[in-house]
Amino acid sequence: MTQMNQTAAGISRRAFNRLIAGSALAAPLIGTRAFGQDAATFKIGYIGPQSGPLGIFGAADGYLIETIRANLAGGIDVNGTKMMVEIITADTQSDPVRASQITRDMINSDAPDLILTHSAPETVNPVSDACEAGATPCLSTVAPWEAFYFGRGGKPDAQSFKWTFHYSFGSANFLNLYNGQWSLLETNKKVGTLVPSDADGNAIRAGLLPKLAEAGWEVVDPGPYENMSQDFSTQINAFKDAGVEIVVCFPFPPDFPVFWRQAAQQGLAQQLKIMQMAKAGLFAAEMEGLGDLGQGLCTGVYWHPAFPFASAAAGKTNAELGAGYETTTGAQWAQALGASASLFDAALALAVQAGSPKDKEAMAAAMPKLKAETAVGTIDFGTGPMHNCAVSGLAGGQWNKASEGPFQFQLDLVSNADFPGINLTSEFKPLAFG
Amino acid sequence: MLDSLIQGILLGGYYAVLAAGLSLMFGVVRFINLAHGDMAVLGALGSLWLVQSAGVGVPLAIVFTLLGMAALGWLMQRFIFERALAGGFLIPILTTIGLGAALQNGMFAAFGSDTKSLGAHIGNLSWASWELPGGIFVGQLPVYMFATAVLVLGALHLLLTRTAFGRAVRATSTDAEAASLCGVDPRKVHRWAAAIAVALAGLAGIFLAMRAQVTPFSGPMMLIFAFEAVVIGGIGSLRGTLIGGIVLGVVQALGALISPQISILAGHLVFLAVLGWRLMQVAAAERGGWRAALSAALNKPDLSRRQA
Repeated sequence: MTQMNQTAAGISRRAFNRLIAGSALAAPLIGTRAFGQDAATFKIGYIGPQSGPLGIFGAADGYLIETIRANLAGGIDVNGTKMMVEIITADTQSDPVRASQITRDMINSDAPDLILTHSAPETVNPVSDACEAGATPCLSTVAPWEAFYFGRGGKPDAQSFKWTFHYSFGSANFLNLYNGQWSLLETNKKVGTLVPSDADGNAIRAGLLPKLAEAGWEVVDPGPYENMSQDFSTQINAFKDAGVEIVVCFPFPPDFPVFWRQAAQQGLAQQLKIMQMAKAGLFAAEMEGLGDLGQGLCTGVYWHPAFPFASAAAGKTNAELGAGYETTTGAQWAQALGASASLFDAALALAVQAGSPKDKEAMAAAMPKLKAETAVGTIDFGTGPMHNCAVSGLAGGQWNKASEGPFQFQLDLVSNADFPGINLTSEFKPLAFG
Repeated sequence: MLDSLIQGILLGGYYAVLAAGLSLMFGVVRFINLAHGDMAVLGALGSLWLVQSAGVGVPLAIVFTLLGMAALGWLMQRFIFERALAGGFLIPILTTIGLGAALQNGMFAAFGSDTKSLGAHIGNLSWASWELPGGIFVGQLPVYMFATAVLVLGALHLLLTRTAFGRAVRATSTDAEAASLCGVDPRKVHRWAAAIAVALAGLAGIFLAMRAQVTPFSGPMMLIFAFEAVVIGGIGSLRGTLIGGIVLGVVQALGALISPQISILAGHLVFLAVLGWRLMQVAAAERGGWRAALSAALNKPDLSRRQA
């Protein structure tokens, strides 16, 4: 027995030593880049989901951060002063608790001048709360601004947060887009809605559905359902009985294929002219998983390589950014690529407009007036719906089988009802099954 | 109503396959495998890798996956679970929690976070359907899944009740020590049971990949439904597991009929009700009938009688 214990301890000690040696060797490689700690370095913290269920939103981060670092390697010009830019990154692992924790850690140990964060209220809200508590300026995007502002207790009539600002789409964007895009086709104007009873879903049910009804669409709402439901026959029957020709859904993404395959089994998909997705359907991988059933599905688009803008931080136009990502990684571009790039564009504009990025008070004072040209278009906090929020545009996209190239699906821009500056890439076509 | 009932029964077939491995593991090895859902996802992603990257046809990929998962189950029982079981009651649970986390993050590293689905590789089977008289549509895939569930669970039932191996399994699960005195090697039995259980998890994963989409983090939610089906049907009973799965599917479908919001909740409530009823039964058996148990529960707990 004693002998056994000694052996076990010996092995673990050796293994432990190896581990220590290994991590000591690896530390300089995985550690933050040392650009020096002098006053002339603009230090940006970038926090997002790189693993976990939201990890797909961070899949392009590696390419993006390398591109931006290379482009800004010579430093930036801030009102006549040359500054170096340092980017430090952290992974929330899609966990709100961890997001809050790593933000506090970053503020305490690295003291970044500005923190950028993105993708879903589960990331944006806890990171913003930690920045507000830690008196660190923070810009965020890709989450409905209502979820960011009201979800954190913001008041409608005053600037509720000093340090944290957010630009993204909101329910008004969806209303504009759906109104405009659905009117392109001849339908009976009956809209079935598949909206779960989660935070986003409740906001949509209270905010968007009544406005759709006001705008002349006949809304058929079978009521809230729980995420991870495995059977949608009740909703499908309700839609079939009402004879809807449009369905709009805001599902937890894994639920969508379950619903849509059952809809095709039950004959609903064959009766629809428009299947509009939000939350789900952002990534080509989801369409590839659906195969033929993915053809013609519609989704909102907040970034596309065909958007006529450029990313100053990456030093590329949107078209170059998308193409560069595909050639470098071999993977298909995704909306998260440009949306994350736009955060850095806004950060560089903020540095210039604040005068000195090292002065946190000046940064906080400049954010309510921030106006920036980014990869997702012009961001103007001066005209935002709330003091801490600015609105970006939402184009209408339709997934079509790719006409050529290595990827199965392409996202065509079919409506600019909410985003007039966008050029369309294809005509809006009704669903065609059977 | 009838439509919901049919859809619920068909969904139950999927739940039954999902639950069967968990039930078998618990019934034979006395081991709660909290990584069961993650093993199902491993089966799903493994078969997807075979189809998408290795270019294997779907039927062959299913065969390879099931064999691979069975081998994995055997090895895990041999090298991990056996040792964990020797550590008492808590260690196996902690081991499988850790194994689940390691599997999730390992699969994330190996396969990435893109959602994937086998549905695109089986032609229109994922959404084809038959129309029954009365305007009721049944999906072909759910029907095939239900048939597979009945076949697999039926075959397992026959295996356990009619063969020498089954006799050894039943003997081991009743009293491993006595079985070993009679010339049965419990460790061997446990390893084969684990192989079957993990292969069943792989089959459930393949079903998931066909009817929905899979990410490396889909496992824990599957575990909950599997657990509920096992408890509703009676722990360790394969026939019960089939019934448990069907009850769970039907209750969810009928619950949605009342309000879509209580679909999953209805399943949870039936699970809790069955669990409560079973606990009452045990308590009643201990105290000599439910009347005595009820009065004991209403009055102060009588410790002396329990010891006696």
